[in-house]
Amino acid sequence: ATETFAADVTWNVSLWGKRRAFTEHVEKLAEEVSAKTDGKFELKLQYGEALSKSRENLDGISFGAFEMAQICASYHPDKNPSLTVLELPFLGVKDLKEEIKVSMKLYEQPAVKEDLGRWNAMALMPSPMPQYNFAGKGDVPDSIEAFNGMRVRALGGIGQLMEAVGAVPTSVTASETYQAIDSGTVRAASFAPHAHLSFKVVEVADWWTKNLNPGTVQCPVIVNIDAYEALPDDFKQALDSSVDPALAHYLETYDKVYEKWWPELESQGVTQVEFSDEELAAFAEKAGPIHAAWVEEQTANGLPGQELLDMVKTTISE
Amino acid sequence: MMTIDSDARSGSERPVTYIRFDGWLSHVENAFNLIAAFSILTLMLLAVAQVIGRLLFNMPVPGFIDITEQAMAIFAFAGVAYCQRVGGHIRMEIVLGRLSGRTLYVCEMVGVILIAFTVALLIWGSWYHFDRSWTIGDSTMDIRLPTWPSKLVIPVALSLLLVRLIMQIYGYARLVADPSREPVAVPMIEGVEEHAKHEIDEAFGDETAEGGTR
Amino acid sequence: MTPLEVGLMMTGVMLVLVVLGVRVAFAAAFTGLVGLIIHFSMKMGFERGFFVALKMAGTIPHSKSVTYSLSVLPTFILIGFLAFYAGFTKQLFEAAKRWLGWLPGGMAVGTVFSTAGFAAVSGASVATAAVFARVAIPEMLEAGYSKRLSAAVVAAGGTLASLIPPSAILVIYAILVEQSVGKLLIAGFLPGVFSAFIYVAIIIGISAWRGDAPPVRGFTWKQRFESVPGTLPIIAVVAIIFCAFFFGLATPTEAGSLGAFVVLMVAFFRGMKMKQLGQALHETAKLTVMIFTLIWGVLVYVRFLGFAGLPDAFRDFIVTLHFSPWMIMVCILLAYAVLGMFMDAIGMLILTLPVVYPAVMALNGGEGVSAVDSTFGMSGEACAIWFGILVVKMAELCLITPPIGLNCFVVSGVRPDIPVQEVFRGCVPFFIADVLTIGGLLAFPSIITILPELMG
Ligand code: NA
Ligand code: NA
Repeated sequence: ATETFAADVTWNVSLWGKRRAFTEHVEKLAEEVSAKTDGKFELKLQYGEALSKSRENLDGISFGAFEMAQICASYHPDKNPSLTVLELPFLGVKDLKEEIKVSMKLYEQPAVKEDLGRWNAMALMPSPMPQYNFAGKGDVPDSIEAFNGMRVRALGGIGQLMEAVGAVPTSVTASETYQAIDSGTVRAASFAPHAHLSFKVVEVADWWTKNLNPGTVQCPVIVNIDAYEALPDDFKQALDSSVDPALAHYLETYDKVYEKWWPELESQGVTQVEFSDEELAAFAEKAGPIHAAWVEEQTANGLPGQELLDMVKTTISE
Repeated sequence: MMTIDSDARSGSERPVTYIRFDGWLSHVENAFNLIAAFSILTLMLLAVAQVIGRLLFNMPVPGFIDITEQAMAIFAFAGVAYCQRVGGHIRMEIVLGRLSGRTLYVCEMVGVILIAFTVALLIWGSWYHFDRSWTIGDSTMDIRLPTWPSKLVIPVALSLLLVRLIMQIYGYARLVADPSREPVAVPMIEGVEEHAKHEIDEAFGDETAEGGTR
Repeated sequence: MTPLEVGLMMTGVMLVLVVLGVRVAFAAAFTGLVGLIIHFSMKMGFERGFFVALKMAGTIPHSKSVTYSLSVLPTFILIGFLAFYAGFTKQLFEAAKRWLGWLPGGMAVGTVFSTAGFAAVSGASVATAAVFARVAIPEMLEAGYSKRLSAAVVAAGGTLASLIPPSAILVIYAILVEQSVGKLLIAGFLPGVFSAFIYVAIIIGISAWRGDAPPVRGFTWKQRFESVPGTLPIIAVVAIIFCAFFFGLATPTEAGSLGAFVVLMVAFFRGMKMKQLGQALHETAKLTVMIFTLIWGVLVYVRFLGFAGLPDAFRDFIVTLHFSPWMIMVCILLAYAVLGMFMDAIGMLILTLPVVYPAVMALNGGEGVSAVDSTFGMSGEACAIWFGILVVKMAELCLITPPIGLNCFVVSGVRPDIPVQEVFRGCVPFFIADVLTIGGLLAFPSIITILPELMG
């Protein structure tokens, strides 16, 4: 243990929802940091939006009401336009590991630092999310054309993509999804598997698109820059060095989600739909114009859009 | 639940400017409340369109949730000053109901000063909230509506409320100075019988004598 | 001072302000704001802490009001005021009289059903009592019913407003405790109907015994069926709301809007004037802003409690008490009954739930507990629903209890010939019925939870 004469530091961490796989890296981070500083640097995790609503976490960070928070870029795309590059459809991210790699690299980009810097925030680590595949009720879609005219719950970029193949994105809140599918308000919804489980979509679903992999969301853990800069060197060191073990722990926990996911699909009798490579390639082409439109919009806003997108694409193909 | 708005006093005793200003302010408050009312009516029609569009034409209103949320700021805030004027914000009257004269007016005035203090600070805070979305940027999840217009509604509506509260502080202050004066433009406490009477007046609207300004 | 001590102190300040008559929404916002200022000042010094507190508090009114799930509230309120100004009451009473008049105390039985139906749709207990005091009491008196019974039936029938859907207060409860709005609304249906039938049983019993409420006979089947169309708007609204939720055909906001739209169309068809529409809209806006102000005002205070850690502390305190959990539950409900005597039901719920609800859930064994492992023999979700219905029933009960049972005062106010003591006395059997109902709901929670469980 290191000798430190710094005063004890407590950071409040603003989280929404309950403790779950999605927050396990923050739990681990707190544990590691505490162990490395003999409990002198405490991360106090506050769940259930006790400190802020999820959509206002960046606001809370900006004026220093709390020092750390988890955010999702898609909850407020115009607060953090640079992060939304990783929410574009069909980037081809293989797995969570690759998503960590590309996310960490993105956070190093000056444009991203400046973007988050407007909120006095910096990204510490990602909360990588699996691909947002569709689960739905009724006839199993044997081809991508089958989505034509289908009412689906899909937000943002995935919604645009589905619109491009004739689907009808329909407003439904996450917690209403089960009832909405059950009653036919929408026929399918896109979530990551753990969300399909927690919103009980699997219980009403007849099918799940195993390899559509249209995209995902970008949810970093961010810290207040001033609070970070004010940390004594050894605390800063303790925090930085805890990111890797935290993410490793996160990946382990997520594997356990899949240990539940596959048997659940089996027991609910959910058909796993696999589309052919040609079909997926044709589908992925629909993403081209969406990428181009994103680059154009962000460039107009003064972000190096093309540069960011190219960086992402090269990192993924490495 | 009503404002005593009497024209019965002789000119020399009546705080003429105050009454005139109360009248103007009331018009603004009524207009704001009417805007809130129409936003509710519009929301209702939009939701009906959403259901019919979805069920009959497979054409839901795009971004219905986003639109609804942003419009909510109007009916959640626009009527806040109106509601304060007519004494619509609930409170417990068990202690106040036993007071009278100067004691009552001092309590009422202190209560309103406390509200005014809170509202003034909240105007400040909510202005910052608007300002961040205006200068840095913010939009909704689905169809990316800007959020600054709805965030601006809050400091504006609260400012109108603050003006009304300052009016009420003056209204109570002149009663503290001389409790025998007639209350003007301040909500008056009522016992349970009177409360029942007003509920009845509201229930029957036109049929009974008009009960104060609505 | 520790943050928790600040939390306790400021809670004390707020209670004093509320009792002294400061408007609840602003008393809570004031306390929360000052609490946040103290909290952040202790952490980072006054000069910085003051502004951090202001900015934190300043996010809450927008953040907490602009929430889709809350958008159902004005639609339910609009249904109520439209139904009210459209005057659906007379036809409803007439139909109930023709169909049920033959029973002992038949007119009173009809009054219970028609007040319950209208109260359900209008969601306004007190206003229902006022209207039916004028519609139903004269006819009952003419038929030879006692003043006491006639007045009490009207006062008690109105209290069923908040259980039978649509119900704004159950929506507020569901959103505050983050449970399904649909399930709460569906859950209220059986207890509401159950209460109505217990009232009816009491009326028939009393009437048969005392013989002071003669049956009204002589309506032909033709007359009976002729009276049915007048009741359709009310039945349609309850049916739309019930089906929309039970079968998940529409979201709460959509269902509420459809209901309001139907009532509006029927009202226009029956000749509602623009002036009445305007009044209905103004009143809807006023009640809506009152509720929203209460919500965000209290949530400023709750945000401060979050920083102070008070709800966790209260939960731990309740769980470690050395009393039986059932005993604690009954005490909590009694506390609500007392509070309800002095405070509006909606205000009471919004003010207390953020602290009381987590404690109740912990008492049952936690949010995610299964029925087998729980204290009260029901899952976390079922317990949330059960507690919500019980609390709302307690609040409604207070409308017919002294000292300020408003329904009784309103009935007596409409009928100056009936003193309020007489109404209170007449309400005694109904009060006993309500106590029995609450006992029944405590002992047989499935009356509450069976319909929501069928929804899946
Ligand atoms: Na109701
Ligand atoms: Na009461």
